[in-house]
Amino acid sequence: MRGKDVRLDQVAIRFGGSTAVHPTSLAIEAGEFFSILGPSGCGKTTILRAISGFIEPSEGRVLLGGEDMAGKGPNERPTALIFQNLALFPLMSVAENVAFGLEARGVGRRERLARAEELLDLVALGGFGGKKPADLSGGQRQRVAIARALAVEPSVLLLDEPLSALDLKLRQHMRTELRAIQKRVGITFIYITHDQGEALAMSDRVAVMSRGRIEQVAAADTIYADPATPFVSTFVGEQNVLPGTLVSLAKDEATVDTPVGRVTGRAKGDLAPGAAVLVMVRPERMALDGRRENSLTARLTARHLEGASVNLDFEAKGRRFLVVMPNGPAARDIPDEVTLSFGRTDALVYAEGPLANG
Amino acid sequence: MGSLARAYGRPLAALIAAITVVWVLVLVLVPLGAMIEQSLWWRESKGDTSLAIDRLYNDMSTLQLDRSSATDPARQAALDAQIAEKQAQATALEAQEKNPPKVYGFDNFTRISELHLYIFARTILYALMVTLLALVVCYPVAYSVALASGPRKAVILTVALIVPYAINELLRVYAWLMILDYRGVINGVLGWFGLVDLDNRGWIPFLENPSAVFVAMIYTYVLFMVFPMVNTLETLDRNQIEAARDLGASSFRIHRRVIIPHAKPGIAVGCIMTFMLSAGSYSVPQIMTRGQGGDWFSQLVYRQFYESNNWNMGSAYAVSLLVVCTAFILIMMRLFGVGLRDIAK
Repeated sequence: MRGKDVRLDQVAIRFGGSTAVHPTSLAIEAGEFFSILGPSGCGKTTILRAISGFIEPSEGRVLLGGEDMAGKGPNERPTALIFQNLALFPLMSVAENVAFGLEARGVGRRERLARAEELLDLVALGGFGGKKPADLSGGQRQRVAIARALAVEPSVLLLDEPLSALDLKLRQHMRTELRAIQKRVGITFIYITHDQGEALAMSDRVAVMSRGRIEQVAAADTIYADPATPFVSTFVGEQNVLPGTLVSLAKDEATVDTPVGRVTGRAKGDLAPGAAVLVMVRPERMALDGRRENSLTARLTARHLEGASVNLDFEAKGRRFLVVMPNGPAARDIPDEVTLSFGRTDALVYAEGPLANG
Repeated sequence: MGSLARAYGRPLAALIAAITVVWVLVLVLVPLGAMIEQSLWWRESKGDTSLAIDRLYNDMSTLQLDRSSATDPARQAALDAQIAEKQAQATALEAQEKNPPKVYGFDNFTRISELHLYIFARTILYALMVTLLALVVCYPVAYSVALASGPRKAVILTVALIVPYAINELLRVYAWLMILDYRGVINGVLGWFGLVDLDNRGWIPFLENPSAVFVAMIYTYVLFMVFPMVNTLETLDRNQIEAARDLGASSFRIHRRVIIPHAKPGIAVGCIMTFMLSAGSYSVPQIMTRGQGGDWFSQLVYRQFYESNNWNMGSAYAVSLLVVCTAFILIMMRLFGVGLRDIAK
């Protein structure tokens, strides 16, 4: 199996009067594990369905391996889709499910069942071919769906939140498994999810979407450490958000007046003095001492033990601050009044814009 | 009963149980029992009873004559005794003739004539053909109502399906009679185009063909086929259809491997209803053939009741039809691998 690259060229999708996807261009490399991350209703599933051929884009082109897919139905494209609810055929055996794509291609019974057995071995379900999907556990059904999709030797595998129905432990296990399967078969995976943990853990690159637009496309580490917009910043991981007014700008160092005093941070995008801005600091970047450039006095309001880490809620000037620190002696016996501080490079300063939580 | 009482309390549980009993009695046991009982007996009326009575009265007249000419009192007394004995015999026979004795047995079932047996077999065959044709006609309809159209269009289609049922069944059948008649709508249109010559009785005799009955029956029972199918098809996860298409399956294969297997219980219910209704339909063949085409078995049953006035034989015919149809359905269910449990869903 060989992966193919996927390119969206100014693809826009409209349903009636409403726009599901604004003109979007995207280049996904062959053999890449690519995730599209966004809240529900952001248009990510619509993009996936446009790639798989269930929807024709209203504008623009979808190219698979350089070939324009216009006018080709889902059965004519080198893609296979794994549905959110898996959509296994409940009345067929597991082996028949896996062999269905080959059956549709006219492969003889003996040959396709042999191939199904190989694929079931690949997903560690050898010997389960005779069972019905209902007899399997959630994780096993998941793997059957993957085997069924791989049976047609697609160049691009499209996954529409297939892990969302599983419980937490299984979901984490399946992440590793999916990534391993992708490495083994070497084809392009496009993975749709609203779960940032999944996207960050599995993907080579992640696209973050909001309201029909792609906000940022980058490697998982970059998405977390250097988010491009306030939306990405707050959608992926936790942030302490401080609204303020930009006082001055020197190179990319921004000075901002905020309700808790004057702070400095790294400017993101074009900013002009006097503009309304948002200062974002990751909770784990906040320290419980006054040793860093920006500091403020805060009062402890709550302490939540998470296991390996501790979440501390502080309040300063009516604003809530979250600090995450590793569990240990330092995380106990926190005085009621402390000085919080964060470095100049830990604070990102954005022009005001929509946040993920409204 | 115990769990019912625990769930709903004693009075409500008793009410539910009582309603169930009444339901079973009134709808199943009593009518069916009455019909079966009726079919299991007949009245023994020997053809020679009236002859025997006649002979007795003749004998009595002769004895009367002897009696009037006899003078010996002893002889007179003997003759009187003989006459009284004959009179008693005659009275007994007359009572028997007037109210023949009930005899129980299976004769009503075994006495069926060869012709009637043939009609019986043909009726089952015709009903089967109606069922098959209705299935072929209704599957695409059910599919488009349940899966292929948006909710708005599905509502319109459903209403369009129900509207004809606001009209009485007989009227709907008569409508088809008007359409297919010698000078009916179709022949009229064909005549207008000059394709048939109505003036010289050159029309196409649709009504003389059994398929005229089929057409009217399919029209009459279409809903009973469509609705069970729509009900099961609506429960099909559309993602399965999309998944099959995404895996490269043609529309035909999607229907054969995904949609029809899922709809099987609905198809079975629709077929059973249509088969039962058409095998037992009286009005449709009666009206459509106007008594001129081949009879359906239901018409024979009717005649046994109301023309031969032989309710026992009629009941036997009806029970036979019921038994054979039920057996037939059970066999079909076994063949198609559909259980009662699937149908009840």
